[in-house]
Amino acid sequence: MFARPSARVRPVRLAASTLLLAVIFTAGASAQQPAAAPLQGASSERAIVDQYCLGCHNTTAKIAGLALDTVSPENVGRDTDVWEKVLRRLRARQMPPAGMPRPGERAYGEVVASLEKSLDRAAAAHPNPGRTDTFRRLTRTEYRNAVRDLIAVEIDAASLLPSDESSHGFDNVTVGDLSPTLLDRYVSAAEKIGRLAVGRPSRSPDGQTIRLPPDLTQEEHIDGLPIGTRGGALVPYTFPLDGEYEFTIRLTRDRNEDIEGLREPHELELLLDERRMELFTVAPPEGESPPAADQHLKIRLPVKAGSHKVAAAFLKKPSALLETERQPYQAHFNYYRHPRIQPAIYSISIVGPYDAAGPGETASRQRLFVCRPTRESEEEGCAQRIIETLMRRAYRRPVTARDFAGPLAFYREARAEEGFEAGIEMALRAVLVSPEFLFRVERDPAGLTPKTAYRISGLELASRLSFFLWSSVPDDELLDAAMRGDLSKPALLERQVKRMLADERSRALVTNFASQWLYLRNLDSMTPDMRLFPDFDDNLRQALRQETELFFETILREDRSVLDLLNADYTFVNERLAKHYGIPNIYGSRFRRISLDEGSKRGGLLRHGSILTVTSYATRTSPVIRGKWVLENFLGTPPPPPLPNVPSLENTVGEGLSVRERLAEHRANPVCAGCHQLMDPAGFSLENYDAVGRWRTAEAGKPIDATGGLPDGSEFDGVAGLQQALLRRPELFAGTFTEKLLTYALGRGVEPYDAPAVREIVRKAQAENFRFSSLVQGIANSTPFQMRRSR
Amino acid sequence: MIITKKALPRRTFLRGVGATVALPLLDAMVPAMTAQSATPANAVRRLGFVYMPMGSDIKNWTPPGEGNLNELSPTLSSLAGVRDQLTVITNLELKNSYPGTHATSNAGFLSAAKAKWTESTDYHLGTTVDQIAAKQIGQETQLPSLELAMDLLSTVGQCDNGYACVYQNNLSWSSPTTPLPYEAHPRIVFERLFGEGGSTSDRRAALRQRASLLDWVKEDISRLQNDLGADDRGKVSQYLDSVREVERRIQKAEAQTADNILPDLDRPVGVPAAYADHARLMFDLQVLAWQGDVTRVITFQLARETSNRTYPEIGIPDPHHPLTHHGGNEEKIAKMARINAFHVSLFAYFLEKLRATPEGGGTLLDHSLLLYGSGMGNPNVHDHVNLPILVAGGGAGKHRGGRHIRYAQPTPLANLHLTLLEKAGVRLDAFADSQGKIDELLSI
Repeated sequence: MFARPSARVRPVRLAASTLLLAVIFTAGASAQQPAAAPLQGASSERAIVDQYCLGCHNTTAKIAGLALDTVSPENVGRDTDVWEKVLRRLRARQMPPAGMPRPGERAYGEVVASLEKSLDRAAAAHPNPGRTDTFRRLTRTEYRNAVRDLIAVEIDAASLLPSDESSHGFDNVTVGDLSPTLLDRYVSAAEKIGRLAVGRPSRSPDGQTIRLPPDLTQEEHIDGLPIGTRGGALVPYTFPLDGEYEFTIRLTRDRNEDIEGLREPHELELLLDERRMELFTVAPPEGESPPAADQHLKIRLPVKAGSHKVAAAFLKKPSALLETERQPYQAHFNYYRHPRIQPAIYSISIVGPYDAAGPGETASRQRLFVCRPTRESEEEGCAQRIIETLMRRAYRRPVTARDFAGPLAFYREARAEEGFEAGIEMALRAVLVSPEFLFRVERDPAGLTPKTAYRISGLELASRLSFFLWSSVPDDELLDAAMRGDLSKPALLERQVKRMLADERSRALVTNFASQWLYLRNLDSMTPDMRLFPDFDDNLRQALRQETELFFETILREDRSVLDLLNADYTFVNERLAKHYGIPNIYGSRFRRISLDEGSKRGGLLRHGSILTVTSYATRTSPVIRGKWVLENFLGTPPPPPLPNVPSLENTVGEGLSVRERLAEHRANPVCAGCHQLMDPAGFSLENYDAVGRWRTAEAGKPIDATGGLPDGSEFDGVAGLQQALLRRPELFAGTFTEKLLTYALGRGVEPYDAPAVREIVRKAQAENFRFSSLVQGIANSTPFQMRRSR
Repeated sequence: MIITKKALPRRTFLRGVGATVALPLLDAMVPAMTAQSATPANAVRRLGFVYMPMGSDIKNWTPPGEGNLNELSPTLSSLAGVRDQLTVITNLELKNSYPGTHATSNAGFLSAAKAKWTESTDYHLGTTVDQIAAKQIGQETQLPSLELAMDLLSTVGQCDNGYACVYQNNLSWSSPTTPLPYEAHPRIVFERLFGEGGSTSDRRAALRQRASLLDWVKEDISRLQNDLGADDRGKVSQYLDSVREVERRIQKAEAQTADNILPDLDRPVGVPAAYADHARLMFDLQVLAWQGDVTRVITFQLARETSNRTYPEIGIPDPHHPLTHHGGNEEKIAKMARINAFHVSLFAYFLEKLRATPEGGGTLLDHSLLLYGSGMGNPNVHDHVNLPILVAGGGAGKHRGGRHIRYAQPTPLANLHLTLLEKAGVRLDAFADSQGKIDELLSI
């Protein structure tokens, strides 16, 4: 009677708390199910649900907490959450689990289409845009960008503010708090920024020491430094005042405090804005207890206030052994294993100003001082203009007299004591600690009935747009457009979005959105085992990041299809990365776009070393993490959280087995199998890439088995198979990408009631082959982005 | 007593930092220790809480025998020098941390409360023991409490089981809905403790400016309150509490500016590359914070739960988290135990340093009480029983060390929290799921 599933363990997708029960019930319930007759033609949803779902999802068994006998597919509007859940699993062909009786592809398609239609109709009748939090603090990244755009001051936000915690994969969700510590830090940050912007002399010379990453190999040229140099670093630095600054260079030392690699004299230069300021020579010390060989690497130079590029690098010796000639690449930073061949720079310190000559003429002063009083009687009027211009940008709205009173009072008080500029600085500080700047506030219009969907104001929409696309405050043009009411006109809104995407500031979508979505942020904390991966150095870490950032940015700038992310015949490499990938004939530190031919091992995010590395452990790959990453970030069907009290599986059996064999052992355990059947196979198909993303065909002498699968039951071999399987239903990937982007855009988790909006965005974008801008425009136009539900 | 150049050597910070760059001397202020005399002689002046992630190998952790702590276990051997001020407590548990996860291990450690399962802004836990203490013994100092950690980089996609990252990353919660941010950057910690420097009048002027800015912020925030729902109004009143708290801190700092002396201190310039150097520097800062009486309550997380940090400096290139899921593999257990011992040795460094710092008639350690341990028991199965826990310090005569308390039955960790609070002068009837106090610790 019942067609018994094949011997392999059946994947089942279950909620954590009911997993164990679920497995038992699955077996029990299935046994009573009628034989799976191939479905003929259209069938009502009810019939399909009855036939394929109720065996497990009924009131008695209630597997995954789901009982479909008590809800009606004829009236989905009553239980949209339940049906959205069902739809998601059906669309991904994840339910019924592969191996169980399943409808034919046509019936799947029909039931999905019909469910979507009824759900969309229900949503159109009662739109639910969700409710973003009333108070949302700027994240550290947004704060930094806002300061840059307001007053042209570049700050290192990480040294001023604590980090933000992430939720739903992004750090702009749980941002409702303002602890005393945070407030304290905002007050100190405003003090420092105010001083920098205006150029007020500080009490004493201040300094910063920039340390180069300890695992940076410095034997070769580093991008951004002059040709003919090797190693070193380029440091953007904001000099607070015109004056003299002292630059000190220190070289790396070994544990005996000897300078590494110093066997003969070397020359190194200090540069300011690409101009050589000094050429030093360092030589091996001679005689008894000589002074440190880098003691004299110190110089005092006059520098104009503002942002400059400080650089230090060694002159490359023509005689030095050319590392490029040798294979394979070896890192040189580890004293014991791969010592430096030549000396390297440890840190660059900048201390000053000494003999400060004044604030100079910086970009920030030009931006801040929109007028300059020439006599005392002009001061008050000019101050008002300056403060009002600043406040409008900072508060993202027109300024009221009441807003204005506070900062103006601060101006007047400080003006009386210390003069005009001190007054402006104090007003600036006040603006920077105002809750109107630090928080994005969205409030319900007065007199609205509870739980009503309403359109947010034009100014609120302008802020949503700018923080979405730029991670920063709106510019004057956007504010003007909002004030004119342009943003409520679709064509004009579209024009603004287009303009904003074309603007340089939209790079935040790469460095802030993509870096969180793809876990690129984790690269900095990845330290692959030095013994197993001796050539992993910071040069490679940065190259890996850069490949993915350039790739994502290309799709954004050239407005390409987001499906390129899955499968592309181009990528970006420099010599360091090309060597890592085994791509020949790429020389130099500069990144360039290369075309990939059919048989290439690269192209598409799944083949990017960055992603393959952040989803691995320090010593080996993790098919579980990789599989989960694919399910979560590409398919939008993350496995349920791990079962409480059950340890991560791949680490609970003995050594001597390949990861695949070990995992197979775990999946023999039905409790574990439920989720690992979903996650592991996708990860297995990436096994041809090692823990740092290099291609391999064998592991520990055994050939790699890269056969894998997806929860929809598809089976394939290797990364190409995985890519094809993902591309077979591009709307799943596009939908997941949209959900991630929407989470980030709204700063809240995407809920079942957002699903109709996501579907609409994806449907419209499909007509444009999922061009990047079509998805962004879709979000900007969507109900959850334009509306809000009242309390 | 006076803090002299000798007591705070100029190289205090540089050892860990590596770079002995000649930064201008910082005119830091360490307030004179006047508060000392004002405090009753027999109250615990300071509480410290140090978190070790992902439990331990309890076999290597638990000392043999019970009653007297005659012999230390392999993991605890580095604490030999302070054994007389050490009590190991075996068989404590955190019932509210179930279902067993990393997030709830960290969240439960100081709260013993149940963490609401959510990834959104509606997170909810409980006020942590350090914060309850801070409300009592932290009000006289500039900072009621100091929250420190070791992880500088925020990671994505690594929080646990559908719990918001705040549970996994924040040890201290000043209310059930207010996780406190932590700081891992030595320079920033230094500036929070000692400011940027300058002459007395410069600093006074700077503080006055801050105070008047905050006055205005308070007004501005109050204005936000119009036309809000109840929960949003609650948010605003939380913000106002924060403003008032920062105002209080500024007043304290102003008062302390009056009679401060200026030791010869360097501001740490960077973050040491090696984990151990960084951790020791963070401990150095804690010693300074207590020595200068800038704060009396400190929490410090040695690493996050699920940390994949490797420890090459002790010959362990394997990431920590996978090692803890050892599956009974002896080699992995041994490595995990070595990481445990390494963490303990850093704590031992801290205790030794506190003991070497004189205060009043004794040492800093004499007047302090510290809790060290983890919210996870056996990480291989994510349980929260038989937690590795120890108490150190003289507790101002309220703690007799050299003991090993071994409970026959699993006993709530909250009992210990309740006991620590009592020793710090905070009398509560209960804390979270406590069932009483640790009587043995109370009997001196």
